[in-house]
Amino acid sequence: MQIGRTGRAESTRVHPSFPEKTRIRMTADSDHTPLDLSKISVILATDCGSTTTKAIMIERTPEGFRQTYRGEAPTTVEEPFADVTVGVVNSVSEIAELSGRRLVADDGTIIRRSSPDDPDGCDIYISTSSAGGGLQMMVAGVVKQMTAESAKRAALGAGAIVMDTIAANDKRRPHEQIQRIRELRPDMVLVSGGTDGGNTTQVVQLAELIAPAKPRPRFGGEFRLPIIYAGNKDARPAVEAVFDGPGFDLSVVENLRPTMEQENLGPARDRIHDVFLEHVMAHAPGYDKLMTWTDAPIMPTPGAVGDILQTIARRQGINAVGVDIGGATTDVFSVFEEKFNRTVSANLGMSYSISNVCAEAGMDRILQWVHLDMDERELRNRVKNKMIRPTTIPQTLEALVFEQAVAREALRLAYQQHKEFATTLKGVQQQRTVGDVFSQQTSGQSLVDNMTLDLLVASGGVLSHAPRMAQTALLLIDAFEPEGFTSLAKDSIFMMPHLGVLAGVHEQASLEVFERDCLIVLGTCVAAKGEGKIGKPCFKYSISGDLSEQGTMAVGELRRFDLGPGATARVEIQPERGFDCGAGPGKAISREVRGGTVGLVLDARGRPLMLPEETSERRACLSRWIEAMDLYPA
Amino acid sequence: MNGSTGSLRHRMATSLCGLAVVVSAGTALAAPPAPTDVRAADVGFDAGSRIRVEWNAVADSNLAGYSVFRSLTPGEIAAADRDSRVAFATAASEAARKARAAELVAEGVAPEDADRQAEQAAVEAGAAASREWRPETAEGEIRWTLAGVADPVDTTFDVDKLEDAEAYSFGVQAFDRDGAKSPIAATTAPASSEASAFDAKRLPLFLMLALLCGTVLLFISIARRGKPLKIRTIAGLAAVEEAVGRATEMGRSVLYINGIQDMDDLQTVAGVNILGRVAKIAAEYDARVEVPTSRSLVMTAARETVQGSYLSAGRSDNYNPDLIYYVTDEQFGFVAYVSGMMVREKPAACFYMGAFFAESLILAETGNSIGAIQIAGTAMPSQLPFFVAACDYTLIGEEFFAASAYLSGQPDQLGSLKGQDMGKLLVGAILLIGVAMATVAAVTNSETISAGVSFLKNTLLGT
Amino acid sequence: MAKAYTPGLKVTPRIAFRSRRLLPIAGKVLVAKGDRVTGDQIVAETFMEGDVTPFNVASKLACTPAEVPTLLSKKEGERVEQDEVIGQSKGIFGFFKSECRAPVAGTLETVSATTGQVLIRGEPIPVRVKAYIDGVVGEVIENEGCVVEADSALVQGIFGIGGETAGPLAMACKDPAEELHEDLITAEHKGRIVVGGARVTVAALRRAKEVGAAAVVSGGIDDSDLKELLGYDLGVAITGSEQIGLTVVITEGFGDIAMATRTFELLAGKRGSNASVNGATQIRAGVMRPEIVVPLADGDGVVASKASEGVLEIGSLVRIIRDPHFGVIGEVAALPAEPAVLGSGSKSRVLEVKLADGEQVTVPRANVELIEG
Repeated sequence: MQIGRTGRAESTRVHPSFPEKTRIRMTADSDHTPLDLSKISVILATDCGSTTTKAIMIERTPEGFRQTYRGEAPTTVEEPFADVTVGVVNSVSEIAELSGRRLVADDGTIIRRSSPDDPDGCDIYISTSSAGGGLQMMVAGVVKQMTAESAKRAALGAGAIVMDTIAANDKRRPHEQIQRIRELRPDMVLVSGGTDGGNTTQVVQLAELIAPAKPRPRFGGEFRLPIIYAGNKDARPAVEAVFDGPGFDLSVVENLRPTMEQENLGPARDRIHDVFLEHVMAHAPGYDKLMTWTDAPIMPTPGAVGDILQTIARRQGINAVGVDIGGATTDVFSVFEEKFNRTVSANLGMSYSISNVCAEAGMDRILQWVHLDMDERELRNRVKNKMIRPTTIPQTLEALVFEQAVAREALRLAYQQHKEFATTLKGVQQQRTVGDVFSQQTSGQSLVDNMTLDLLVASGGVLSHAPRMAQTALLLIDAFEPEGFTSLAKDSIFMMPHLGVLAGVHEQASLEVFERDCLIVLGTCVAAKGEGKIGKPCFKYSISGDLSEQGTMAVGELRRFDLGPGATARVEIQPERGFDCGAGPGKAISREVRGGTVGLVLDARGRPLMLPEETSERRACLSRWIEAMDLYPA
Repeated sequence: MNGSTGSLRHRMATSLCGLAVVVSAGTALAAPPAPTDVRAADVGFDAGSRIRVEWNAVADSNLAGYSVFRSLTPGEIAAADRDSRVAFATAASEAARKARAAELVAEGVAPEDADRQAEQAAVEAGAAASREWRPETAEGEIRWTLAGVADPVDTTFDVDKLEDAEAYSFGVQAFDRDGAKSPIAATTAPASSEASAFDAKRLPLFLMLALLCGTVLLFISIARRGKPLKIRTIAGLAAVEEAVGRATEMGRSVLYINGIQDMDDLQTVAGVNILGRVAKIAAEYDARVEVPTSRSLVMTAARETVQGSYLSAGRSDNYNPDLIYYVTDEQFGFVAYVSGMMVREKPAACFYMGAFFAESLILAETGNSIGAIQIAGTAMPSQLPFFVAACDYTLIGEEFFAASAYLSGQPDQLGSLKGQDMGKLLVGAILLIGVAMATVAAVTNSETISAGVSFLKNTLLGT
Repeated sequence: MAKAYTPGLKVTPRIAFRSRRLLPIAGKVLVAKGDRVTGDQIVAETFMEGDVTPFNVASKLACTPAEVPTLLSKKEGERVEQDEVIGQSKGIFGFFKSECRAPVAGTLETVSATTGQVLIRGEPIPVRVKAYIDGVVGEVIENEGCVVEADSALVQGIFGIGGETAGPLAMACKDPAEELHEDLITAEHKGRIVVGGARVTVAALRRAKEVGAAAVVSGGIDDSDLKELLGYDLGVAITGSEQIGLTVVITEGFGDIAMATRTFELLAGKRGSNASVNGATQIRAGVMRPEIVVPLADGDGVVASKASEGVLEIGSLVRIIRDPHFGVIGEVAALPAEPAVLGSGSKSRVLEVKLADGEQVTVPRANVELIEG
């Protein structure tokens, strides 16, 4: 186990290749001075999303780095422009207008500052991209729960969407697997399998399945499909022989599972980024130009978000979960005990995929969050109407309540999938004592533990555009069910991707901006784990500091106290028997908490969160909570 | 139930016995009057050998109780007579020897010799006494023996330990506190006991059985209706995939040891069941399963099981019977072979499922030293600690046997597993209650609780 | 967020409709520029490599993988028939030989000496592309396909299921607010494109399938009816490949909603004309909507005035596309510049719409769509 941990810790380093590459590019560019972190004071970053290109400017101010200006423009990957740089220049021009700083040269490139006093240009320019559907990959491994899962983790961690996972034991017959490979059009394929010195036959067999299937890449017909091999080193010659055709571009990296006890995702992840730049980006319209502009490699947006979350978790020594709920997909990132995991729930989203959320969760589960009378048939039609007209926004309170109910279920399902994926390594030898006789646990337990979760960061339309901050906070609490003490925050303007790339270049700047401008702290949630009868005492609290309160919470109660941004308070909790707030069942705990726009939320509704079965009782409960949180206008 | 048997019994008693005949016996003055209307009848719904005697109460303020007598059977009479004759003859012979010896001593014979010389006289006297002996009672007269004593308030008494189909007469005698006794009032007609088709005493046991079977049936029907039955995850079985997966990734084989007992051992059978599962997963993963056996019959059974597994996984062409082979019946010969093979071939996963003895630790330690994931399952309590300490996962006793139901996931099997668990829970609860009651009874000396304990012990759980 | 969802659906009596008919992989184009084609004519064709069937010869012949190439009687690239013996083991002294037969017919693609695996490539699968509409080949794209052009009346629906089909238009409803029930569909509708009015019921769709109608076009459908028709709850709006034996196009949305009068009148005016319908919908980046294309005879109909795309101004005709006024059509009465607070509490840019009955309502700009024309 211990070995496994070290293996993973290594893999979660923030792109060891970046600083080096940055340096190379810096010295190669004779236009401006080599990179000296102390001299960087104007940073320009863009994120080319599938619909909008967002640019931000970060400047050194007397109090440290701050995000100062931002601009937005539609992304221009598709016709009629078919050149991503047009959107980039448009968004950057908006910043230029606002800041009065000239950023775009006459030839349309980004201006670099010539001296520290230069009023125009920036010191570094970085970018992320998820345009054109992001990075789509297919992964393969021998055993689904082992090397294939490690490969999937590597791909997801690099910011890819995993279209399918092919494994020797995925219960598909070989011809079905080939059929599936043929249907997909991945940007690249990651093949792994076998420990070093382990299985060769099945690894080669996988390669032999993929090669004749000739998966066609998404961009361009002439394009050679990049294949990354990160499996058993003994199988390399055979795999190289199999992919020795005109249609493939094979690159070999270290095994991502050198032993069963060890996972080494770093090399595979880095190679994915390289290939993403060399092949995928190079074929997307305008990216060849954009790549020459940036001072650090362009990263896939989710990969960058993962990086900033890891940096924060590592620097502050905390466990963090980030979620980005979009129209079509929901991304969940987590860092527990320095182990990073990311999942993409492909069909859980709030517009294109809203109907799928309803289908997967079931209308009953969604309606359990609704305290108003709604007609189910009408709702079903509304859901479908939102799906076919995804850009509409809820106009009435009723529509908002329903949309947030759907969001709760989408987030809950996405988090559930994440928990199932973010596990310790499987297939690892266990050490036992006789004392374990009745408590044998299998390997592959989820790393996600809500009790040890310190920070929950939300981003994405339904969360960041909720009319009231309290709605975002309660959405997070209801969907993620944090236990013990958890800080809740939201990404103000979806700046995390920019900061993720920046973290690879200038970690200090990235962290300062993250703390000061990126996150809007909503407050802290204190929740008791355990179950009890509604109305029975759950825990006693006493709060001192900027807020002075004390009292008792009964099971089923939810209470909010104002504790503004920047304010802190010491919260002492004495849970009743069977309830746990972090120190163990029935044990007292005391902690310093941060305030925020929502404040301090005490949650005695129990974990797992159970809503009364009976409709009128449940609605009464919901109404009480809504009142306590001041959630909706009366 | 009780009411109806009571009245039935009463009717039978009345019809069988007429008036009680008062048999005169030596009675003292102011002796209580003899009980009247003594009746005897077989007790219904029992296992036989029991007859109930009833009589009309005696009106006497000084009454201390009733002695209930039964007649001796001819066999008993013969045996008693024989004993009595022997005793009479022995006594006579002993007396004659003593007398003769005294005479001889008086005649000057040494005392040691006198005893020996008196032998002849003793034998003769014994033989004579034996001839002279006559039974106490006349032929055809009832010979009574005391069957028990009833309280003064009782008017019935169950005489048990009787021979079925033997005709018995019963007599009841009242006695008072001064020791005065009434004459024995006897039944008019003899009664005999018989075993009924149903023994009411066993009713609680029957109910328990019905309850246990009922729960099993109930759970089976629940499971069949598609309701998910929650069965605790058995880590050892959940880890089978993981172990086989590990072997696949590492390109090594899976070693399966089915214990060292033959197919007549239930643990071997359970082990073969689990082998089916392991082989199926191995077939899906295309991993190699090696099964050395220490009994030839086990080899045959294992081959058939593994072949079936490969077939059901749709990989019948990958099945290789040569990987399942017989080594030796000799315990340590087998262990030596397996240990050697483990060290040489380093399988990535080892399974030990069956009956194990001293070899358990040798195998498990070897497996541990080669870094294999090990899963053991045995019902040998003495070997469990070794397996738990040296293996990654261990199926303990009951878990091991439940494995086939657990793995099959079929509603019938799961339902019966769940039902059996309920039964075990019930028995456990009764045991706990019994122990608690016995303790309380011992501390408080409460009659009621003692009665409860004896009900639990004798009726519910006992005979 | 605050801009109107202006690229509304096209409902136009005449448009120079161009349909790109491309093969998924390179192939042969069967038509030349300027050719007149009919809708069901094949314009391009290719053969896709057949399916691959892998099987392990080493385990079948009980030999090591390295021996496999020597034991096979066929070489890579040679043709094999189904059940043909393609390999034989050496056996012991020439006895106990085991055989290996080809599981499918095809070409021996690869023989692996590492795994003992043999791949047989099945027969090529023909891929053909039809012209889809009656028209003229306007452009040939070498090895890929062509563009078929025809002046047509075009109606885009909001959502559809099922693939491409064609047939004469037939009106089942008398006015756009009439629901399409099963009794309105008769045997005459066989092979036709049945146009309804408002909501179509699942019973009506079943009936249409029974009589063999090619497609059904109507204003709305209930989600529960759609679920019943498909047999599953549609999660993501990517359709077109459903095999339900019928193409369905919904022009307005889900629920009780009448077909826009313009759409209805346009279709009614073309009754009896041959139309091509495609139900494929994709609501993602690169949005795709279902369509009804009615190619026009030369000089037929009026040439549509060039629609002013995406301009939202006072007096524009818009449809409200979100509850509480879902489906209602009105005229833009005011376009306040300042964002307003909605009933839900959020702030958004809004516009005021004057409804047909004179009532004036305020709606977020994101919740209206411009009706073109």
